[in-house]
Amino acid sequence: MTKSRDRQEDQKQPGHDPSRRKFLKGVGIVGAGAAIADQLWVEAEAEEQRPAPDDIKGRVKVVLDVNGEKRTSQVEPRTTLLNTLRNHLGPAVTGPKLVCDMGTCGACTVLLDGKPVYSCLVLAVDAENKKITTVEGLGSPDKPNAVQAAFVENDALMCGFCTPGFVTTISAYLKKNPNPTLAEVREACKGNFCRCGTYPRVFEAALAAAKASRA
Amino acid sequence: MQQQQPQPQPSPKPKKKIRVPRVVNGVEQMVEIEVDEDTGPGWGPNDKHTLLNHKITRVDGPKKVTGMALYTYDMRLPGMLYGRILRCPHGHARVTKLDTEAASKLPGVKAIIQGPLTELRFAGAPVAAVAATTPEIAGDALRAIKVTYEVLPHVVHATDAIRPDAPKVVAEENNLQEKAKNGDLQKAETAFATADAIVEGEYFSQRVHHACLETHGMVVDYRGGDSASIYASTQGTFTIPGDAAKELGLEQSKVIASVEHMGGGFGSKFGIGIEGMFACRLSKQTKSPVKLMLTRYDEFVMAGNRSGSWQKLKAGVKNDGTIVALTARQYRLGGIGQGSQAGQPYIYRMGDTYREVYALHTNEDSSIAMRAPGHPQASFAIESLVDELAYKIKMDPVAFRKKNLRDEVYHRQLDRGAKEIGWSRRNPVAGGNPGPLKRGMGCAVGTWGGGGNNQCKVDVTILQDGAVYVAVGTQDLGTGTRTYTRAIVAEELGIGMNDVEEHIGNSKLGAANPSGGSTTAPSLSPSVKDAAIKARMMMAERVAPLLGNPKPEEVVFSGGNVSANGRSITWKQAAAALPAAGITSHGVWRADLQARGVHGVSFAEVEVDIETGFIRPIKMVHIQDGGLPLNRLTMESQINGGMIQSLGMAFYEGRVMDAQLGMQLNPGFGDYKLPGSLEMPEMVPIIDDDDKREAVIGIAEGCIIPPLGALVNAVFNATGLRIRDLPITPDKILMGLMNTTVISRG
Repeated sequence: MTKSRDRQEDQKQPGHDPSRRKFLKGVGIVGAGAAIADQLWVEAEAEEQRPAPDDIKGRVKVVLDVNGEKRTSQVEPRTTLLNTLRNHLGPAVTGPKLVCDMGTCGACTVLLDGKPVYSCLVLAVDAENKKITTVEGLGSPDKPNAVQAAFVENDALMCGFCTPGFVTTISAYLKKNPNPTLAEVREACKGNFCRCGTYPRVFEAALAAAKASRA
Repeated sequence: MQQQQPQPQPSPKPKKKIRVPRVVNGVEQMVEIEVDEDTGPGWGPNDKHTLLNHKITRVDGPKKVTGMALYTYDMRLPGMLYGRILRCPHGHARVTKLDTEAASKLPGVKAIIQGPLTELRFAGAPVAAVAATTPEIAGDALRAIKVTYEVLPHVVHATDAIRPDAPKVVAEENNLQEKAKNGDLQKAETAFATADAIVEGEYFSQRVHHACLETHGMVVDYRGGDSASIYASTQGTFTIPGDAAKELGLEQSKVIASVEHMGGGFGSKFGIGIEGMFACRLSKQTKSPVKLMLTRYDEFVMAGNRSGSWQKLKAGVKNDGTIVALTARQYRLGGIGQGSQAGQPYIYRMGDTYREVYALHTNEDSSIAMRAPGHPQASFAIESLVDELAYKIKMDPVAFRKKNLRDEVYHRQLDRGAKEIGWSRRNPVAGGNPGPLKRGMGCAVGTWGGGGNNQCKVDVTILQDGAVYVAVGTQDLGTGTRTYTRAIVAEELGIGMNDVEEHIGNSKLGAANPSGGSTTAPSLSPSVKDAAIKARMMMAERVAPLLGNPKPEEVVFSGGNVSANGRSITWKQAAAALPAAGITSHGVWRADLQARGVHGVSFAEVEVDIETGFIRPIKMVHIQDGGLPLNRLTMESQINGGMIQSLGMAFYEGRVMDAQLGMQLNPGFGDYKLPGSLEMPEMVPIIDDDDKREAVIGIAEGCIIPPLGALVNAVFNATGLRIRDLPITPDKILMGLMNTTVISRG
C-alpha cells in the first residue's frame, strides 16, 4: 500500500478533486475491516523507518477567494481550510462549524467551485485558486437564498449548529437537481448530522425551497 | 356557569395555598406555599391567543441559517490562545511522572498545567492542559508531553464489575452499592401465586452520548486586573460566574458570563466543568484570552453520557389484564458516578410491588443528566414487560395499558395515537406477517413534571420612540426561548414580533434558572408575562389622558393601536406620552401561570428484514400535552427531536467499551451511529389540544421517553423477537432468529 501511495505521489494528478463523494468512498475502504487496519499499521511502521522528508516549517501565504473576496493569510501548510476560515482570516468566517474535525458530520461544509466539501478535510493551501462559498456567501438575514428562507419558515433548525452545513449542502444540491424527490433530498444530506432532531423539517424545507425556486 | 354563592367578606389580600415544585439538593419536591389569590390576569383560554399557540418562526432563525449567529465556538479575541486537554489512555492509572519540558519549548506553546487528579479512574480522564497560539500547536504540545503511568486494574462492563473478584473502581469500596429498597417482597411473592401468567426479563440499556454538536467549552477573557468575561456554551448563564470567579481569584460580581447562542446541551452543560477550570487557570497564568473547546474525542470520553441500566423484572398478570405484582432489581450504571434510573413500576399500577435499587460502578466517566434523566431506561424495560404481559394473555397492548393506567389522559392519547398510526392494520400475531420484510407496531406511555420555579426576573422597557426591550439572563438552547420571550411581550402589548427585541444570555441581566428538567418555559414565561402585564398597565396609566381617562385595565392594546372609550391612537403615539427615559417594569414568577405534569404516548411502525436483520423505521407518532403551547412550531420541532433521539437509543447509538483496554472503541461520529437522514421515518408530532390547562408546562423531556418503548415493541410485533438489550442492531435480530441467546454487553 505504501508503494501504491508513493506511485500516486509521483504521478501528476489531473487536478485535485476533494469532493465529498470521493472522500466517502475512502471511508468505506478504511471501514472495510481489521485486516486493512493491520495493514495500515504495518505501513505506518514502515513509514517511520524511512528517512524523514524535509519538514515544511513555518507559515506560508495563502490567498483564498472567499464569497467573492480575495482574502490573504499566513498559515502553517497543515492548516485546514476550516481552521483557516475560522482562526486565521480577519474578520473570521465562522459560518462553517467545527464539530468533528474528521469528515464525519458535515457541519463544516463549504462549496469549492460550487461543489460541497468538508472544509475540515481540505488544506487551505489546496483551496487556493478555487471559488470558496460559505453559508455567509449564500445569503444574508435580509436577503436569504431560497433554502435559507425555507429553513426559517419550516423551522428546520433548533440549536442551529448543524444548520450552515445543511443549508450549504442543500443549496448546492438544488442547483444540480432543481426538482428533487423526498428520497433524493434524504440521499443528498446523508453526509450531514443533526443532534436536536430537525431532519423531517430539513426535508420539508429543501422541498419547499425547490418549489419556491421553480416558481 | 354562574353559581349563586354568598359574597365573601372583602379582605385586603386574600391568600390561597398552592403546591409548587422546589429543588432541594438536586431533588425536586412539592411544597405548599401561600400566594395572593388575585395575582393578576392569567393567560386566558388557549384558543384565544393572537401570537402564542400559533406557529411563530424562530426570531434567531435568519441569523442561524446565514452563519451570522455567533456561538461560543465562534468567538475569536485579540491575542487569544487555544487550549487542549491531555487525556489518560488507561482505564485506571496513576501518573507517576509528567515531563513537560519538550512540550514547553515548542514555539507557540504558552502554558502547560497539570490536572487536579492524582488517580485517574477512566480512560479519558484529564491529565494536563496546554495553551498555544494555534489549535495545531496545542495538539503538538499534547503529543510532546511525556507521561509515565502506573497502570492499575480496571473493569468497564457491569456484568464483570458485579463479580466479587472484580477490580475495585474505588479502593476499599464495593463496586455495587445498595441505594434503596421499596415495597414488600413477601406480599409481592404471595401475589405472584394468584397470577395466571408470569413474565420475567433482564433488560440492558446502553450508555448513549449527548453528542452536542457544539462541544463543551468556553472562552475565558482575563487579561489581568480585577474582572473577566466568559463566553460559555452552557445551559445555565448563571452557573458560570461563581465557579469561574473562584478559579480566577476574582469577585463573582466581576465575572460576566454570556451565551448568545449555544449548540446543544441535552442536560450535559451546567457549570464550568473541568474544561472551564482548565480554561480559567490557563487564562489566569497567561493573562490572555483562552478558548478551550473540547475535541469530539474529548466530548465522547468525558463530557457526557446517559446512565446505562441493567434491570431484572418479574411481573404477574391475571387473565382479565390486571397486573398483580412486580419485583424489580435495578442497577444504575453510571461509571464512577451514581447513575440514574426511575423506580419501577414507573407509571403503571402493578398491585404489590417491590424493588431494590443499586449503583454499580465501572471505570468509565460519570454519567451526566441527559434529557429525562433515568426515565427512558425505566420506560424501555417496563414497556417491554407490559407488552410481553399483554401478548401472554392475548390482550390488545393498547387495551392492556388502559387497564393498568389510572390517568384518563393516557386513555385519550392512546386512542388518538392508535388512530393516527393505523393500529387496526396491525397483525395481532407477533411475527405473523408473511414474507421476509415484516412490519409491526408498538406503543408506549410516558410522563414528566415540567413545572417551574421562582427564579426568573424579567425587565420590560418601553422607550419614548416605541422601541420595546425584554431583558433576562436566560439562555436559548435551540428550544425557542428567545422566540416565546418576545412573543409573550408582543402579544400582551398588541404589537408585532418585530416590534420587540429580546436581550438574553448574559449574567448582567435579570436572574434566570438553568435549563434542565423542562423547567425553563414554566419558570421563565410567567415572569415574562408578569413583566409584560405590568408594562401594559404602566403605559395605560400614562396614555389615559389621551383616551378620555379610562381605568388602566380598560385600555385595549391590539393590532399596534392603543384604544379606549372609542378613541384610538397608534403604538408610536402612545409611546410618545411616556417620560423621556421610557418605562421599565419588573416581572416576577407567578405559580398560577404554570403547572406541572405532562403526559405523552408514542406509537411506532417498523419493518424488519429477517434475512439481514435490518430494521427500517416506517412511522412514529407522539402525542404530547403541555398546557398552553407557547409556540406550536418550535414545540412540534421539539417533539420531533425527542422522537429522533429516542430512535437513536432504540436502534443505533451506544458506547462500546473494550474490556481489555478499558477504553471506548467508538469515540467519534464515524463509529458512534447517530440517527441520520436515511433512517428517518415519517414523523407525526401531535400537540394534545384536549389539554385545556391555561398554564405553561415544559415538554422537552416528556417526548423523549416513550418513543423508545414503542419502537422496541414494534420490533416484537414484527418479528416475535423480544430483544431486551439496546440498541437493537441487526446482529441481535439475526441471533434471535437463530434462537441464540443474545449476549449482553452491559
